[in-house]
Amino acid sequence: MLASHHRVGRGVGVLFAMLTIALAACGGTSTPGTTANTSPLLIGVIAPFTGADAALGPAYFAACLPAARAINNAGGVMGHMVSCQEFDTRGEPADAVPAAQQMIASHSNLMAVVGCTSDEAASVAPILDQAHIPMFCMTGQSEFNKTTFTYFHRLVPPDEFDAFAMVGSALDHFNYKKVALVFGNDIGSQAFVGPAMTALKNLGATVTINQAIALGQSSYRTEVTAMLATHPDVIFTEALGPTDATYLAEVKQLNNGVMLPFMGTSATIDPVWFGAVTGAVGVQTVVDKFTAVDLGVSFSGPGYDEFKTNLDAVASQFPDAPKYSQRGATLHLYDGIIQAALAMDETKSTDPTVYNPVIHDVGNGVAGATTVNTYAAGVAAIKSGQKVRWVGAGGLTNYNQYNNSQQGYILVRYDASGNEITIGTLTQAQTAAIITAGGG
Amino acid sequence: MSLIVAAFGFGLVSMSIIAISAVGFTMQFGITNMINLAYGQVMIASAYAAYAVNNAGVSIWLSLPVAAVFGAVFSFLLNRLVYAPFQRKGTNLIGMVIISLAVSLVIANVMLPIAGYYSVSYHQNPGPTYHLGSIALTGEQLAIIGVAVVVMLAIHALLRFTRLGKAMRATAANATLARNCGIPTARVIDLAWLITGALCGIAGAVAGMNSDSFSVASGSEFLIPIIAASILGGAGSPYGAMIGAVIIGEMTEISAAIISPEYKQVVAFAVLVLVMVLRPQGLLAKRGALAAAG
Repeated sequence: MLASHHRVGRGVGVLFAMLTIALAACGGTSTPGTTANTSPLLIGVIAPFTGADAALGPAYFAACLPAARAINNAGGVMGHMVSCQEFDTRGEPADAVPAAQQMIASHSNLMAVVGCTSDEAASVAPILDQAHIPMFCMTGQSEFNKTTFTYFHRLVPPDEFDAFAMVGSALDHFNYKKVALVFGNDIGSQAFVGPAMTALKNLGATVTINQAIALGQSSYRTEVTAMLATHPDVIFTEALGPTDATYLAEVKQLNNGVMLPFMGTSATIDPVWFGAVTGAVGVQTVVDKFTAVDLGVSFSGPGYDEFKTNLDAVASQFPDAPKYSQRGATLHLYDGIIQAALAMDETKSTDPTVYNPVIHDVGNGVAGATTVNTYAAGVAAIKSGQKVRWVGAGGLTNYNQYNNSQQGYILVRYDASGNEITIGTLTQAQTAAIITAGGG
Repeated sequence: MSLIVAAFGFGLVSMSIIAISAVGFTMQFGITNMINLAYGQVMIASAYAAYAVNNAGVSIWLSLPVAAVFGAVFSFLLNRLVYAPFQRKGTNLIGMVIISLAVSLVIANVMLPIAGYYSVSYHQNPGPTYHLGSIALTGEQLAIIGVAVVVMLAIHALLRFTRLGKAMRATAANATLARNCGIPTARVIDLAWLITGALCGIAGAVAGMNSDSFSVASGSEFLIPIIAASILGGAGSPYGAMIGAVIIGEMTEISAAIISPEYKQVVAFAVLVLVMVLRPQGLLAKRGALAAAG
């Protein structure tokens, strides 16, 4: 019996290894972009839809659906109707590679891909770039600040900027001096830690404790006890899934029912995170004690209104979609998809090698370009021979030479319904000043 | 030092939850020869069943039996409809492991559109906090420990003092011989799935209570320490699983206090590897109630 168990153990190991190799070998390469006539086009949403970061994927899917609706209601991209499809990476690079390869191998009509968080961007971006597929990524990793991938686009700042904005807000707005860092041990969350520690040190604050917590554990009471013993003024955090909810509930419980102030990254401005944490610590505690930095979006203007209208309309396809009306990532990825579509219209091509370089121009605008806030207006302007500049849900785009765009930050809190309330702003210049002072 | 003592106290809660679940997991293997990797997902499904009742206004403690019944029925059906047909066709153990892995993924992905990707929390009152030196536990945590003690005693009584328990041990030792001796092994296996499924359901609900928040994705995280405790104690041995739960539960908490929370699972698995090197059959494989009918 025991010997048979040993054989089983070796057998399982070999089988897993073979499965891994087989999965890695799945897929292949194809040449997307050459679609016939008015055949449909696909936007791939490659992100975690299961696993610890499962909350991220829906936010990006919620960006794709209203963009597709806006495009299709205007007759599609040169007559090509557009649809969205989820590709689950489980938040693991090992799962993301076969997911990306399968997506490319199975769909020759990919016009763009959105998603690619820090969990999988490093493994997925090279594959997409090699396949000539324009991508709009949500990764916050600094390695993409000066990327050589020509098909890579990022409409949000790197995570280190989030970290600097958090530090600046905590010190200037609230005068916190002692900070506990509680971040998940995943790649995305840990990207904040180094810059935050450097900035806090350089700006005269103290890191009382730095905890990299394993995601999805059933309890963090030992970690919470250790953290509380350092008596911080505020907790900086990003630990997605139920992790922050569990940790913060135990903070409140072990601190005699009193919650410490806690500040989140832009990823915590999310209906899933709000639902989880309010369920664990109570709505009023979150309203009273939580603040976050978020991407500098005004949530107003004709571009936002168009987005909101389409977002509400796709609730029949995705009931939770309207909840993402103030999720910065959702707004920006919506903008990216529309930019790609307008670039296709301008170049009159479905070949990514042709329209990809023009995405930059549609985002930033070229001399004499007409500003448009809806896809239909963009198509009309292009048909009349004009160049267009897209100013959409997330406002202005400012791509640099590496197709990275950023717009500063806002300091926010939640109301009892989970809506974001702006309580301060950090312009791009102010953020840059903090980065310089903080040693970034 | 006080942090280590406090961590020891928290470890009592962790090991209680692991013990309930690991005993069920290892009994499934011991009696039915099935390494059920869908166990964690059944735990979470049961936790959601309790959540549905709790969310309707019923106390979480009264929802606990609902989780137990749900886990029992779910596990029973899982075996009858999926596992047993494959076993009858002669699928080997490794094949069954892969099938259970697939079942786990199917359950998780079926649950997502039903339960959503949102984390949920029970409506619960942790009660007053009781202190013993640096150890601080809430009334609810003490109750979870109490549930674990009751369950362990009940399993001990079942295996040692009942005809069903003896039949289970006989089936685990040699199913063919047991059948030839007149033991209705098919019925014993059905009852084993019901009992271990109930343990799985109870474990899911108390894990949900302890964690304050859980989601569909929590199943795979819960499964890791369960497997570790089961293997550490000796696969198929309920008493070994109990000891494994004590070691894994305490090691994870105390290592978080001494080293770093990032390595709490790493330390637990390092202990597991060490035991596997020194005693590959696990701590109690030869003395477990299911390993030999003696």
